[in-house]
Amino acid sequence: MNFKEILELIDKVAESGISGVEIEQGGTKVRVEGKSSHPKVFAYAGEVKPEPRALPMAELPSAPPPETPQQTAARVAAEAGDAGLHIINAPIVGTFYRAANPEAPPFVNVGDRVSKGQVLCIIEAMKLMNEIECDVDGVIATVYPQNGQPVEYGEKLFAVKV
Amino acid sequence: MFSKVLIANRGEIALRVIAACKEMGLKTVAVHSEADRDSLHVRYADDDVCIGPAASKQSYLSISSIIAAAEITGADAIHPGYGFLSENPHFAEIVSECGLTFIGPPPQAIRLMGDKARARETAKNAGVPIIPGSEGAVRTVEEAADVARSIGYPVILKAAAGGGGRGMRICWQESDLQSQYDTARNEAERAFGDGAVYLEKYLERPRHIEIQVFGDTHGRVVALGERECSIQRRHQKLIEESPSPALDEETRKLMCEAAIKLCQAVNYVNAGTIEFLYQDGAFYFMEMNTRIQVEHPVTEEVTGIDLVKEQIRVAAGEPLSVPHGEFRLRGHAMEFRVNAEDPVTFAPNPGKIRELHLPGGPGVRVDTHVYRDYMVPPHYDSLLAKLVIRGKDRSETLARARRALEQFVIEGVKTSIPLHRAILNNEKFIRGDISTRFMDHFSL
Repeated sequence: MNFKEILELIDKVAESGISGVEIEQGGTKVRVEGKSSHPKVFAYAGEVKPEPRALPMAELPSAPPPETPQQTAARVAAEAGDAGLHIINAPIVGTFYRAANPEAPPFVNVGDRVSKGQVLCIIEAMKLMNEIECDVDGVIATVYPQNGQPVEYGEKLFAVKV
Repeated sequence: MFSKVLIANRGEIALRVIAACKEMGLKTVAVHSEADRDSLHVRYADDDVCIGPAASKQSYLSISSIIAAAEITGADAIHPGYGFLSENPHFAEIVSECGLTFIGPPPQAIRLMGDKARARETAKNAGVPIIPGSEGAVRTVEEAADVARSIGYPVILKAAAGGGGRGMRICWQESDLQSQYDTARNEAERAFGDGAVYLEKYLERPRHIEIQVFGDTHGRVVALGERECSIQRRHQKLIEESPSPALDEETRKLMCEAAIKLCQAVNYVNAGTIEFLYQDGAFYFMEMNTRIQVEHPVTEEVTGIDLVKEQIRVAAGEPLSVPHGEFRLRGHAMEFRVNAEDPVTFAPNPGKIRELHLPGGPGVRVDTHVYRDYMVPPHYDSLLAKLVIRGKDRSETLARARRALEQFVIEGVKTSIPLHRAILNNEKFIRGDISTRFMDHFSL
């Protein structure tokens, strides 16, 4: 069972409202409990192994080290915490700015009420300032990138509590 | 010299450029679409940036996203690879306007050679032979007959507005021309709303032979011999080799000189290829490609020159490293394009590579981006690997190629490997008796 499948399993358990499920597959055992508002994940140490991957060369400089089961569990729980939040992703690659200029206050802060069409930030690409608008009504729950930080296409910018 | 090079491409050519940069001690930036997240070029580069969704138009063809990626990673040069934005003069211009270096020819040269009619005119003015034909459209059947008599039969009538075979008529003698002229005009009128036709000498069994050229910013241009690329289907090359089995020293010299003249006429800088049609000892300019080509390793193997490193050096203003004086090709090289496609119908076949074994040993080079469990995405071209074989002569190269293709295993997707094995056992191919019509009469 790979990481993506575990994530899908969590979503399904949360949606279905069942109390939990335990799956054993090829020496890997995963139990997902869905009783509380957020599902819990128990990964059994030593049994969750990263999927083996064959690559032509042994050293992959930019590949991250494999996660420990504890890290996996923590990350799964954190991402599951996004449930119910609307995520706004970067529509283009560029530099993320929270304000119109260095002196101006940020367009939005955590806790601000925002509405559809409101400018949330600027992404600078090729010296052009692209205003990124909110596509829902809600309250800003999280601002993911730091001001001035580069963002890739599809990277999380804001979480909005709808 | 640059410190960090962004590669505006994917697949094997992105890896090829990364390899050249690593050997030169330069840092690299990979850009990728969402569909290429698990690609090797993303893993091997020092930095990687996701620039858009799977569709090329919003990722690998998005000029603003690529420039933005260069800006946020601090790259100072961009290598375009082949395809995508490599022959887009507008992109080359924007790259320099943003204070970055485009690793390729100047935009003016790309623009001039990208316009087929102007390229033909430029070649003619530079004294490079072009296919004899009418000056523009012929207005009457009498005018067509006059032109045909002066260039000799067979001739082909082509729609001035056209392409794709419609409005084309081959005439073997004057009576054919009389009967075909109106048909060609009517067909052109119906297909393109323009009945204008022009006339050209028809080559029955032409070979596609191209010359690799290289210019530097100090005014030097060299020709690095030829590649014969006659084995192609639907204008897609399948097998390329150097030297061509058809050329003698004298013709090779003439073709190289013609190629150099054309480059000098357009102040060409960096790597380029001049494509010719060759038949019965005569050669005719077809077009120029203003980029590194897929089949460049063939030339690398017989010249010992790393063309991609040379591109980077020349773009940084350094003179060509090719020694002055007489130039000789050493041994023989052949490239086989391994595509993810049905070897009979040529239909693309994306999917997961379940098993992979690459051939090795003496004289075998494989340029590829695939690995076991790699998903071949359906969004891009089907090239999986280039098998490049080198031998002391053509016959050793053929034997080595047969051996390597036997050892080459790709499971999970259909590939052109069985087609290459069959071509290698074809008598005409073995004799080197080939033309661009070869694949019309060949199937598995």
